[in-house]
Formats: sequence, structure tokens, C-alpha cells
Amino acid sequence: MEQIFGLSMNTLMWILVSVTSLGLGIVGVLAWKNPVILKLGVRNIPRRPTQTVLIIVGVMLSSIIISAAFGTGDTISYSIRAQAVEGLGPIDELVFSTPTNAEGGFGANAYFPFTRFEEIQAQIADFDSIDAIAPGVGEIAAALNPRTGLSEGTLRVTGVDPKSVENIGFFKLISGEAALLDTLGDNDSFINKKAATLLDAQAGDNIELFRPEGTVTITIAGIVEGGGLAGNDPTLILRLSAAQKLFEREGQINSIAISNRGDYVEGAKLSKTVTEKLRLLFADEQTATELQRLLILPNVASAIAKKEASLTRESKDDIIQLRSVLASGQTDPELIGLLTNPEIEKIILDALEDEGLQDLQIEADNLFRKLSEFRVVEIKRTILEIAERVSSFATTFFLLMGLFSIMVGILLIFLIFVMLAAARRSEMGMARAVGAKRSHLVQMFLFEGTAYSVVSAAIGVAIGLVVSSLVITAANSVVTTFDEDFRFTRHFEPRTIIISYCLGMAITFVTVAISAYQVSQLNIVAAIRDLPTPISVRNVRWRSLFGRLLTAIIKPFLLALRALRSLGTLQIKLTVIHIRQMIWALISLPWEIYSSLMRILWRPATQGWLIVILGAITIWQGIQIGQAAPFTIGVSMTIIGVGLMGRAIWSKTKVRADRRDRITYSFIGLTLLTFWLLPFDTLEPLTGELDAQFEMFFVSGISVVAAAVWTVIYNSDMILRVLTIIAGRFGRLRPVLVTAVAYPMSSKFRTGLTLMMFALVIFTLIVMSILSNAFNFSTLDHRTITGGWDIEGEVNFNTPIRDFDNAIQQEQSLAREDFTAIGGFTQIPIQARQIGAKDQRWQGYAIRAADDGYLTENQYKLEHIAEGYGPTERDVWQALQDNPNLAIVDALVIERDGRSEDRQIEFQLEGISYEDEEMLPITIQIREPRTGVEFEVTIIGVLTQLSDSFGDLGFGMLIAKDQLDKGLPFPVPITTYRARLAEGASAPEIKANLEKVFQKNGMKVAVLQETIQQDASAQQAFNRIFTSFMALGLLVGVAALGVISLRAVVERRQQIGVLRALGYRQYMIQLSFLLESSFVALLGIAIGVALGATISYNIVADVRESANIQTLSFSIPWMRIGGIIAATYAFSLVTTFLPARQASKIYPAEALRYE
Amino acid sequence: MNDLIISADEVQKTYHSGVVEVSVLKGVDLHVSRGEMVAIMGPSGCGKTTLLNCLSGLDEIDGGRVVIDGIELHTLSDNERSDYRAERMGFVFQLYNLLPVLSAVENVEMPLLISGVSSGDARKRSLEQLDQVGLSGRANHLPAELSGGERQRVTIARALVNRPAIVWADEPTGDLDSETANGIIDLMIELNKTEGQTFIVVTHSREVGDRAHRIIRMRDGIIEDNGLT
Repeated sequence: MEQIFGLSMNTLMWILVSVTSLGLGIVGVLAWKNPVILKLGVRNIPRRPTQTVLIIVGVMLSSIIISAAFGTGDTISYSIRAQAVEGLGPIDELVFSTPTNAEGGFGANAYFPFTRFEEIQAQIADFDSIDAIAPGVGEIAAALNPRTGLSEGTLRVTGVDPKSVENIGFFKLISGEAALLDTLGDNDSFINKKAATLLDAQAGDNIELFRPEGTVTITIAGIVEGGGLAGNDPTLILRLSAAQKLFEREGQINSIAISNRGDYVEGAKLSKTVTEKLRLLFADEQTATELQRLLILPNVASAIAKKEASLTRESKDDIIQLRSVLASGQTDPELIGLLTNPEIEKIILDALEDEGLQDLQIEADNLFRKLSEFRVVEIKRTILEIAERVSSFATTFFLLMGLFSIMVGILLIFLIFVMLAAARRSEMGMARAVGAKRSHLVQMFLFEGTAYSVVSAAIGVAIGLVVSSLVITAANSVVTTFDEDFRFTRHFEPRTIIISYCLGMAITFVTVAISAYQVSQLNIVAAIRDLPTPISVRNVRWRSLFGRLLTAIIKPFLLALRALRSLGTLQIKLTVIHIRQMIWALISLPWEIYSSLMRILWRPATQGWLIVILGAITIWQGIQIGQAAPFTIGVSMTIIGVGLMGRAIWSKTKVRADRRDRITYSFIGLTLLTFWLLPFDTLEPLTGELDAQFEMFFVSGISVVAAAVWTVIYNSDMILRVLTIIAGRFGRLRPVLVTAVAYPMSSKFRTGLTLMMFALVIFTLIVMSILSNAFNFSTLDHRTITGGWDIEGEVNFNTPIRDFDNAIQQEQSLAREDFTAIGGFTQIPIQARQIGAKDQRWQGYAIRAADDGYLTENQYKLEHIAEGYGPTERDVWQALQDNPNLAIVDALVIERDGRSEDRQIEFQLEGISYEDEEMLPITIQIREPRTGVEFEVTIIGVLTQLSDSFGDLGFGMLIAKDQLDKGLPFPVPITTYRARLAEGASAPEIKANLEKVFQKNGMKVAVLQETIQQDASAQQAFNRIFTSFMALGLLVGVAALGVISLRAVVERRQQIGVLRALGYRQYMIQLSFLLESSFVALLGIAIGVALGATISYNIVADVRESANIQTLSFSIPWMRIGGIIAATYAFSLVTTFLPARQASKIYPAEALRYE
Repeated sequence: MNDLIISADEVQKTYHSGVVEVSVLKGVDLHVSRGEMVAIMGPSGCGKTTLLNCLSGLDEIDGGRVVIDGIELHTLSDNERSDYRAERMGFVFQLYNLLPVLSAVENVEMPLLISGVSSGDARKRSLEQLDQVGLSGRANHLPAELSGGERQRVTIARALVNRPAIVWADEPTGDLDSETANGIIDLMIELNKTEGQTFIVVTHSREVGDRAHRIIRMRDGIIEDNGLT
């Protein structure tokens, strides 16, 4: 993986290494200068080993998550790259004829004369970035090995020129010897390992290839290793001349493979240069001139100029260059090179669309399509880029998923240091009293924290890589569902380890530094006497606040002036002192400015009005850009601000401070809670539709949990009261229950933080579990997804079945009565554009041209029916049969929630949205790219989102096959058959029989229920992986409880003695500690479950409403959630058990002596 | 001596701290009658608090015999001793040792709850006890909100709420000014008189000793003077 968040991994590594080294360097210097403080700081580590272990466990969590995420990214990147390199071998680019130059019909790439290849070969002979160039012929055929009876419906048959092998790489037999292509006869071939496995073929076997022209028998001369020209799919390799003869394409080829100089890394780097060179070579100068003429038209030039502002830097440079070349008036290679760049083509067409120049856009689109004779595919670079994108996405995704846990980890570090500070408060007060500065206290904690983070980050990274390995193992078991050959191979870059270590350290270090600063602000007297810290009511004047800011800014200049003056009087020593002071003033300037601003803003912030103003601005911003995150954050700020304003006003009255605070904070907590738990669309009438991405899950999770914890903690005495009443019924356990609740509720901050940790983690796990359960479609009736079909059989394009229904009737092994409905269609890629739409370029889409059986018998549900074609779904399908100019599109081509469905399909319909109530017929133009045949169809319906949305069931608009038959100059065979089976018919048996009967047609049958279940199960498995990953945060929560319990035993030693003196038995002490941690854990669990369930309910309701998936229902998977709760609670008990036991063993007299 | 409530013979206690062994009680004999108020006095480190802990069952003894109200305390299990303390003993400590997270009344009712008294009864009796020590108006205050004297009164209320046979007080006035200390001693004497409970008070204070029925003087782990002569 090379990039994350758009930042190069190398850059990130060096930044982090520098920051970490700087941090460690500073700590090192401080330690060297203050060895006593260092000793004071680190002596605490070995004093309490159990506590140290718990702290390290808690602190290392961030590193675990980070290294697991990066490690997973590395593995994904490496595995995809390895497969690309292995599969493509030395091939870097592939060249195909563009459709307009095509000869022939469906089923293969377009053919072109071999002589044209020879010309190209001559033209690039002196281009030293290219190593080799190989002509090829490739088609798909159904094949059978009669010896084993095994068949393969889509065997790739490749013709390779023996002369080109020398340059592009020899074939290698699996025995390791060279496979000599030129020794093959016309009916001899090599077969790659994958094909040999599928057909169980061996050298000497005669393979039958089924072609439209008849069956051809080919003898296997040897089995070769895959990759490169030997292909990554099941492939049969013939001599070029033999393949041309087999396909009746003498003197023709349909592809050119190109290998760049150097290994795969260097080759991929050269790909851009080679591609540019080839595109230039293949461009038609006449068309380029026509394009140039069009692009210099004033309105076109102005549209392009306007577009420039919104482009990335690289694209902007390209467009600037284009405009400058256009201005020169020359149709030179530079211009042609720019015009053949697909990115520039897109920018120009987008610019014309933006300016509403539809006619010019159509003209430009046509010229761009005519511009090049051949299409150059940068196959290796593209796959390597995909590897990069996928791995970067996976890393980002895992990091985002881990955000909650990282957040919880940070809270734990903070909590640990707050507790350590509390434990050492009087010691620190004493140190301050005898002359230690605040900075010494900061250093003391910093030394200790650094020691923890150095160790824990290292352990965390190692564990993270183990977690990543587990994720990969789990992912591999899921990946087999989709691709039998692909496996992730564990691979961790040293860079990843460095980044994870430094990042983990940095997070800990910064948190420790902030906590240490916070701790150092203690009041000496209060600390020594262990009294509560008095609240400072010092009213600092505005003038002094601004004066401090001004001084900080002016100070370096004044010192520079003094240095100059001293230099003028030749006082060198003084000059040096002034310069040193100036440098220090400059270094500390950012901090001084920051702290001065904070002091200035503190009062208006605590009085609320500044927060209200900032909140209002954020709300406005959110609405302006249509984003939910700033809007909701703004509202939250406003609520907090209003609460604080009320408190400030109240402070002028005689209301008791504790009552005032309770009312204020309860108001803030409850209002925030209500706001965040509202159904998502409640405020839509006011705000309009707001876009919400994954970050909203994080923001809403943190906010809603914080609000709930806030409310609970500020009303803890009520909980205590209720529990005291309840406890009244438990005899001897009453005092135990009372103290178990009273203690955590008396340490509001500590308990609040722990509650927050627990609740956050449980919240995320509950949301994941409920959503995963709600979106589990494996239990859904498969017919609602497949349009009412049970099985699907796909045959080879070259060997279609003439009459499927009749063929079934004729076959003895098949019973027609097992099939209650049969239909078929052909899926072909097309281009489409909507008449009257803003975007007038041809965009990629697909057609599913269906026969009458398919149109009559399908049971698809329609989301929209165009006016005049309903009211029932059956009416619409009938209309399609009656009128071949009508079509139904799938939901992928219309926008949902104000955005296109991730643009899986290029073509998008304008003027209609999934949520619309009504639909008008929409006319679009269709173009078959190979022949250029154009026709119009009217869209009269939209399928529901669920239709064919699983596995590889296909997509594309449904039209009557008659339409295609009329329009195209060659016949379009049906290649996909679907059938609905009778009650009691065995789908697996029918599948086996169909594949046997239609072996020669290369039929592959899928039982659709299995396909959907496999797909849904794989999704569930991925969900489980993510949930498990997120559950890592639980470790922190549990560790937090352990740390708290350990501290509590130490802090309450005397009180334990008192309780024992009063008659507490040993088990009562132990129980009291266990109940205390149970109280926090169970309260956290309860908050997490309640909030998680409510938010999940809102999400499910929102998706059901907006996507109109009525089958989507909210239900709580009690078993799974029960498991999570039980496991969490059990672990929390295990962690507190030891400290609790330790507490119970304290002898009363010994405890009473403790000070 | 009639009606002995505490009878200790040859009580020995040694503390082991690493390689160092400190013999704190070197064969103490002590006998206290029911309803007596006894002060144990002596220099720091003479073993006063250890004796109190050993007699009350808060600490184990290494030798000798302690009989409280006819029960040989050190033959009881830890649980039985805990129950005995809850039902028959009250404790007053120098540093009050109230539970900081509970209010005054909650602190006072703790022994009752431990003994299994119902919540309603416990609250009622605790309030009465607080009233008896003059703190009825401070019942719902947390210890941190009370003065030193008030805290010690709460401790006394807690020690007496269960009507224990014996109240053990370890330096009850040690952390108080003389005026407040006198108030506390007055209170203890009055309660001793009215309730008839036995008070064993460890103290450095001459005033406290003078007001007790007798003073037991200790030195170097033995009783120098049992105050009976």
C-alpha cells in the first residue's frame, strides 16, 4: 500500500518517525537534565506490577487497531498485486480494435488484419520502452474431455505467434521444461494448469471444442504454467495460424499484447509513456483536426476554462497545456497526445454538459469515439492501481471501524493518569511545597507515560499483526465463496510496523502530555490535606488577557532589537543571551498564542454564548453544504451553549450551586439525547435532505453515549436512592449493595469515563449486530430477489441452444413438468443517453434482451410504473411484449437519497429518483457499440432495489429480444436461461442433469437460492469480522474496570478495615468490589444496548422508508447480543476478581493502620 | 471482680516485618467488668492500639487467651468474629473513619444493616442515635461537610447504634481541639452511665484518663499498672 488518506505512506512514515524521535528526544533531554524527576516518575512502574500490566494492556489498544488495519491493507495490496503480476506475467498493455473498426459479430474482441500488426510493429521498433509485442487471437469455447467426461463452458482458446514468444516469454511445462510452440501441429495445443485441472486433462488427451461451425478435436501436447500469454483463466494455447484457421480468421488477429522494458514495477511505471505513445500512433489526424476546430469555438473554450477551477492540480495542468496548444492553431502530436487522453476527454465532455451545450457535447463525443483506431488498455497498471485503492480503502475502513476503540483507548489512558494523579496527589502537593515546579510534575508523568507507551506500542503492534492475520484467515474463508483461486497472503511491510508503532506512541504520548498538564494544575494546600480542589473565581481583566497575547507576539521582535543593540555596543555575551531568548520566544510563540486565545475565549465559552454562536454557524454551514455531520454537531453545540447560558444567568440568583448544575447538565444531557435519538428525517422539512456517510455513525455514537452518560452521572443520587430502596429487600446484602453503588457514584469523573468506554463499545457492537441481522437476506425468499426464478443456466455465446424449452422436452433425463416456467435473455453491453437530459454523451450500460417466456413469467417487483402503463406489474410486462420499444431499468441507474448509487453504472437517468411517488415515461437512445446501430426505447418502469442484487445475477435494462433482433445485423443468441421449478422438484438434481445434457453448449447452472445464500452468508461473515474487530474496544473497557478496582483497593484500604470492624465478612468485601464493577459494567451495557437499539431502529426505519424494502424489519438478535453482554460482563468480573479477593484478605487491624 | 466482660490472660502479639520481628504484646493480663469505662494509657509504641485490636478480635493473637462475655474470641472463625463484632461491639477511631461516600445517617445505620435489621428500623434507630449525640440536623450531610467534632459524634453514634456490649475507642479525641474533646468525653461518659455499656478507651490524654473509672498503664508491651490498686 502506497497511500492512505491521500498521503504517501513513505511521507507519513518519515513524518511520524520525525515526530516520535523529536518527542523521545525531548523526553530524553529532560530526563538527562532531571534525573531525580526521572527516578520519581519511573519508580512507580515496578511498584505495582499488576497495575502496570493492566495499564500497558489498556494503552496498547490504539497500536493494536492501527497495526491491524495497516497490516490488513498491506496483505490485500500484496495479494492483489501478486495475482496481477502472476496472472499477466510480462504483459503490461493490451491493444484491441475500437468498435467502429470492428469486423464480425459477438463473442470475441473485434478482428483486424495481421498486416496492420506488422505495420505497428515496424512503427514502434525504435521505441525502447517496449520490450516485446505479440499478436494474438482469443475466443471462448465450450470444451469437453471425453476421457474424463469433464467439461468447461468458458474455456479460453488463444492463438499465439511462435515468433513473438521469444520476446515476450516462453511457455513453461509444469515439469519445468520449455514448451515449444512451433512444434505444435494444427490440431495440437498446450493447456494451462487451471484448464487441465478443470478437465482433468493430461498430455495426449483429445479435447472436444464446441464451435458454431461444429465440434473440433484438439490434442493436448502438454500442460503449461499459467500467467502471461498462457492466461490466468482456463486457457488452451494454439499456434496463431492454427487458431486463425479454427476460428476461420486467416490473416486476422483480435489483440496485441505488449511488454514494457524492465520488471513489473519498472514496466508498470513505463505504462503511461508507452500508452501515450501508442495512443498517438493510433490517432486519426483528420478527426483530431475536427476536434480542434470544435474546441476553439468561443463557447466551448469558455466552458473548458470555467471547468478548470474545479480540477485537481494534475488535471488543471493538462487543461492549461491543452488550451495553450489549441491557441497555437497547430494539430501537432502534442495536441493529439492530449486529446487521446481519456481524462481530458471526460473533462471536456463534462464542461460542455455543465454549460448546457448538449449539441456540441454530442458532436465532441462522436469525434472522440472516432479519434482512435485502437483501444490501449493499461492492464497491469490498472490492476496495480486497483490493488492500491482496495488496500487503501480497507485500511481506511478498518481504521474508521476502530475509531471507537481508539477513542475508548484514549479515554482509558486519560483515566489511568487521572487516577494515578489522584493517588499521588498529596505526594505531588508535598513535592510542590518543597519547591518542585509544575513542569516537574508534568515531566514526572511524562517519563512514566513514555515508558508505558514505548513498551505498549511495541506489544500492541505485534498483537495488531496477529489480529490482522486472524482477519485475513477469516476473510480467506469468505473469499472462497466468490473466487476459488484467490487467497490473501499475509504480508506486512516494515514501513507498516514503523508507522503503527509511531502512531500508537504518538497517540499515547499526546494523551499523556495533556493529562500530565491537567494533573500539574493542582492546588498545593488542597493536595497536601487531600481536600477538594477549590474552584478559582479569579476574574481576570480583558485588558490583561489581550496584553498577554500582544506581549507574546511582540516579544521575539523586542529581543531581536535588544540583541542588535547589544551587538552594536559589542556586548557579545549579552547578544548571545538575547538571541537565545528570542529563539525560545519564537519556538514558544504558537503555544503562547494558543493559550492566550484559550484564556480569552474561556469565559464566553463557559457562559455559553460563544458556543451558541459557533453552533449556529456550524448549523448554517451544514445546511449550506448539505452535510448531516456539521449540522448535528452545530445543533449539539447550540444545546450545550443554551444550557450554559441558562446556568450563567442562574448564577446571579440564590439557587444552590449543586441544584443549578444538576438542572443545567440534566437539561443539556436530556436535550442532546432526545435530539440524537430522533428519527433521521424528523428535521428534514426544515433542513432539506442532508448527506450522511460513515462518519455520522462515529459522531452520533459518541454524542448519544456522552449525552446519556452525562445525564446518568449528574443524577446518580437518584439511582442510588432507587437502588437503596430495592436493596432493602436483600437482607444482609443491603449494606454491600449500598456501598457498591455509592462509591462509583461519588467519583463522577472516573465513573463517567468508564461508563462512557463501556457504553461506547457495547453501543457499536449492538448496532453492528442489529444491522447485520436486519440486512441478512439469506432468510429472505429468494424469488423476491430473482424475479421468481429458481435456477439459472448460462451457455457459451458461440454455442447457444436453439430452443431450450423444446430441448428439455426431448431429453429423457429431464422432466418438463419439473419446470413451471422457463425464460431466457441475453445480456450485452450498450451505450445509452437520455433525450433532453443535461448529459448528452454516450454512457455505458447493458441490455437484457428477454424472450417472451421471460417477460411473461417473471415475478419482479417494480418500484416505479410510468404513468399510463399500470396499474399492475403484469400490465407493464405485457406492454413490453406488445411494444418492443419499451424497457424497464434496474434501480442502479436512478439516484437514491439525492445521490447516484455509487455510480456502479456509467449511465444515469436524470429527473427521477428512487423515492419519487410518480414516474413519467422517459425516452432514451441506445447504441450498440460494435455496430453503431442506434435505436430509441421508452423506460416505463424501474425494478426494486433488491431485484437481482445478489451474487452475479446481472444487471441491465430489460427489453423484448425482438427489438434487438430487428436492430442488429447479426443474430443475438439467448445465453442465459432461468426457470421456476415445480413444487418438490430437486434443484441440485436438475442442475446436474442440465449441465450434462447441455455440456456441448457449455452450460453452467446455478441454483439461485444457493447463490443468494452464499452471497448473504459471505456478507454476514464479513460483518462478523468487522464486529469482532470492533470488539477489541471491549478489552479497554475491561482493563479500565481492572485498573479502577486495583486503585480502589489501595485507596480504600482503611475503609475496608472499618467495614471489617463493623462486621463485614470477607465475602462481603469481595462482593462489594465485584458489585461495584458490575454496577458500572451493567450500567454501561444497559446504556449501550438501549442507545444502540434505538439508533439501529432509526437506521432500519430510514432504509426501509427510503429504499422501500418492506421486507426489512427491525429485530434484536437476542442470542448474539446476550452473548456479547455475557462475555463482556464475565470478562469484567474476571478482571475485578483478583483485586476484590485481595481486598477481602486484608486483615482489619492491618487495614486500619494504613495511611 | 464481679461480672467480667473482658478477660485476657498472657496475650502475646509479635509482628513480622521481613527479617525483623517486633514483639508488641509480651503476655498481657487484663480484666474488665461489665459497664466499666477503662482508659488504656502509655507512651507511643507501647502496644495500646495492638492490645485493643487483639482484644476486640480485629487482629489475631500469637499466644494467650481472650474471653469476651464468656466467648473465647480466638476460637471463632473469621465470619463468626465478624458477626460478633457487628452485633456486640462498637468502634470509635481517632481519624473517625467514616465512609466518605455515605451520609451521616447512612454511616450510622451501617452496623444495623450488617446485622440484618430492616431498612426502616435501621433508619429510625440511626436518626434517634444521631439525635442522642446532638446531630439530628446533620443527618444527610456527607462526612466531608462536617467538622471534626461532628464527625467523631457520628462515629460514636455508629458505635452505639447497635447497643453493643463493648465500645472500643482508639484515641477518640486525638484529632480534636480540647473543647471539642471534652464534649466528646462528656458524651461517652453520659452514654456509659445511661446505657451501661463497657468502654475501653485507648488514649494519650490525661483528661480522658482522669474521667475514666480506672486507668491501665502500659509500657513495652506489658501492663505496668492495671489501675485496681
